[in-house]
Amino acid sequence: MGRDRFRRQSLGALYSRIKQARILMVGAGGIGCELLKNLVLTGFGEIHIVDLDTIDLSNLNRQFLFRQEHIKKSKALVAKESAAKFNPHVKLEAHHANIKDPQFNIKWFQGFKIVFNALDNLDARRHVNKMCLAADVPLIESGTTGFNGQVQVIVNGKTECYDCNTKETPKTFPVCTIRSTPSQPIHCIMWAKSYLFTEMFGMSEDEAPEFDHSEDTENAKEIENLRKESQALNGIRQSMGSDDFARKVFDKVFKDDINRLRSMEEMWKIRKPPTALEFDGLSKAAEGTSTSMAQQDQKVWTQEENFAVFCDSLKRLSSRLQKSRLKTLKLPPLPCSHSTKMTRTLWTSLQQVRIFAPSHSALKHDQNLTSNKWLATSSPQLQRPTP
Amino acid sequence: METSNQPVAEAPVTNGTTSTSNGAVPISNGAIDVSAQEFAQAPLSEQYDPGFQGQTQAQVQPISADEIALYDRQIRLWGVKAQEKLRTANVLLIKMRALANEIAKNLVLAGIGSLTVLDSSMVVEDDLGAQFFISEEDIGKNRAEAAAPQIRKLNPRVALQVDTEDIQFKQPDFYAPFDMIIATDLDIATLSIINASCRLCSRPFYASGTHGFYGYVFADLIQHDYVIEREKSNRPTALAPETFTRSIVATSTKKENGKVIEMVTKREMYSPMVLANTSPLPAEQTNSRRRKLQVPPLLSCLRALWEFYTISGNIPSHSHADLALFTSLATEKHKELQLPTETLRSDFLRSFLQNIGSEIAPITAFLGGQLAQDVINVLGQREQPIQNFLLFDGEEFKGPVYALHPIFPDMDSNLNPPVAAPAVGAEMAMAMPV
Repeated sequence: MGRDRFRRQSLGALYSRIKQARILMVGAGGIGCELLKNLVLTGFGEIHIVDLDTIDLSNLNRQFLFRQEHIKKSKALVAKESAAKFNPHVKLEAHHANIKDPQFNIKWFQGFKIVFNALDNLDARRHVNKMCLAADVPLIESGTTGFNGQVQVIVNGKTECYDCNTKETPKTFPVCTIRSTPSQPIHCIMWAKSYLFTEMFGMSEDEAPEFDHSEDTENAKEIENLRKESQALNGIRQSMGSDDFARKVFDKVFKDDINRLRSMEEMWKIRKPPTALEFDGLSKAAEGTSTSMAQQDQKVWTQEENFAVFCDSLKRLSSRLQKSRLKTLKLPPLPCSHSTKMTRTLWTSLQQVRIFAPSHSALKHDQNLTSNKWLATSSPQLQRPTP
Repeated sequence: METSNQPVAEAPVTNGTTSTSNGAVPISNGAIDVSAQEFAQAPLSEQYDPGFQGQTQAQVQPISADEIALYDRQIRLWGVKAQEKLRTANVLLIKMRALANEIAKNLVLAGIGSLTVLDSSMVVEDDLGAQFFISEEDIGKNRAEAAAPQIRKLNPRVALQVDTEDIQFKQPDFYAPFDMIIATDLDIATLSIINASCRLCSRPFYASGTHGFYGYVFADLIQHDYVIEREKSNRPTALAPETFTRSIVATSTKKENGKVIEMVTKREMYSPMVLANTSPLPAEQTNSRRRKLQVPPLLSCLRALWEFYTISGNIPSHSHADLALFTSLATEKHKELQLPTETLRSDFLRSFLQNIGSEIAPITAFLGGQLAQDVINVLGQREQPIQNFLLFDGEEFKGPVYALHPIFPDMDSNLNPPVAAPAVGAEMAMAMPV
């Protein structure tokens, strides 16, 4: 009789090994919440949870360890708190951190009997795969999308590993479609989110993986244009904080660019040409339009409402970026003992990452500013700092 | 988030009068011929028929922007219309063990309208092993009452009721207010009575249970219509039977992103559990030796276990007499199903007997996920539902579905070719709502 009666009954001798096992779960999202419940109820001795993410409203329909009052809190910590109630005999350890952080080294991985991947991205999966192979620890890899899912067991020297098969890369869009001839809403969203937003509020060379930069002739021309455009946007960026910042961005995107596109006549032989917008006219028409419209994301906005939200968003983003810059400018002094050129370059670029990176996360949660998340996810930039 | 209550463009018409009093509603839409009986069975479809304003929807608010934000990820998967059907559904869940914990979690998170959990027994220490809504201090309390506060916290939008009366005392009309009845971890006699009551008031019924590593899901949806969306093919879709239980009853088309999408309404016919439990395997599963070898011995063992309980009023103990009786029943059932004797291996029998009565979280999670997803699809009238018996073996990690029906006509003589293969023996897709 008792809490572990059925585990003993069904698992037999295996159960005593489970009770002694120290295991790691990477990711506390959709799969992670379910998995953690099952691991805790199965009675694994010690379970470590690593997740760098925070809880969002749209998680609550499936990540049952989280509730409304947990929004914006650490997934790893809340998952630990909630799951601990399922079985008081299990030792739980939560790490609100990136699995790629140096503290999670090979030696650390070697301390686990099994590692479970419950991740949502290729990059982290590959990393854990490598670490587990190096540490010689079995890895159970998983993923779902829609009604489908898969689980794969990876054991060094016995099975194929995660990277033994090439993985389908996320969908990309040709730059010219995104930039000049968008035909679906997603094209405009990609353009705004992955290009324009980064140019305005992020690092200039922060490349979005969604862009297809393959060098065919048409694309090559577009990429050259993008470089010019980048410079133009940089000019506008300098006026951030001033009164005519919104007008400058607006004129660039909705007037000058449109007029330039319209001038390419052969482009509009089979397509409907776009219409340029006037800032002054719209500004007058949108007078008195409430910016609370931005909260109503299920309603189709009028042009005036769009305009009001556009201006309001630019204003709020600019002030947020400036505030976060002030916060993070105070970096520790340059370590003088390591004054090789490489360290210096790395340090300079690190500073840039620290300064510019918050612009992305500023949109989400301010607490990310101080987390390691950005340093880690921005690491590709460390190799090629801006001149 | 609680302040805004913005209706969406697709909000259904909810005010107005109803045309009948007993749920039998005439339909004006010519595309789909819906019988009165079927309508009573699936009253959730009413709000999407422009000719109907049902009484059950009279008080229902249209889906709000808050809900769309909360359910965003699943609405992307099954659409806002299916979500609207879900949110008015009234579900009864019988017996609150680990499997039912999973089902309750999945349905409540998905945002059904209301859930009634029914259990008359007390929490004992054994329950703490795989049930996650209860803890040590709940020992001695009623199982449904102990679980209720935790279920509520998962999604305060869902109305939760608790019923502590023994299911044996319920009259057939008890089931009528529910849109869906799910009974878990019960014996065949009780399941058959519930199923019969559900048939009397035309309510879809699921039965499910686990024994350690093994489990099953049975569905009796009586008659169920659902829509499959697919890109329109050049070949016209014939309104004809596809299998001996399924037929295409209507088609219509719509345009989406420049593509023509065909919406195919299919109808599945079901049998009650008492008949399915004595039915043979479908012919194409037994017409070759290779296929017979693939049928897991679990089916024979489950039937043997139910019969054992009917005979002795208990589950088999480790006594010689019990083991001998169970083994002879399993052998008998295996023969009845025309399965080869060598697939009823002694190591499987031993493992099955070892697991009887047990519940372990990974298995209840999987089966509860599978069942809840099927229920969600059925309520939303989308996707092929289970037809009609899913066997789950957690040791082998296999979950074939067999259509078990008392009458099994020779398909070739009754159906015009070409006939698609019936949905039997198919490996199930892992569909935990994560």
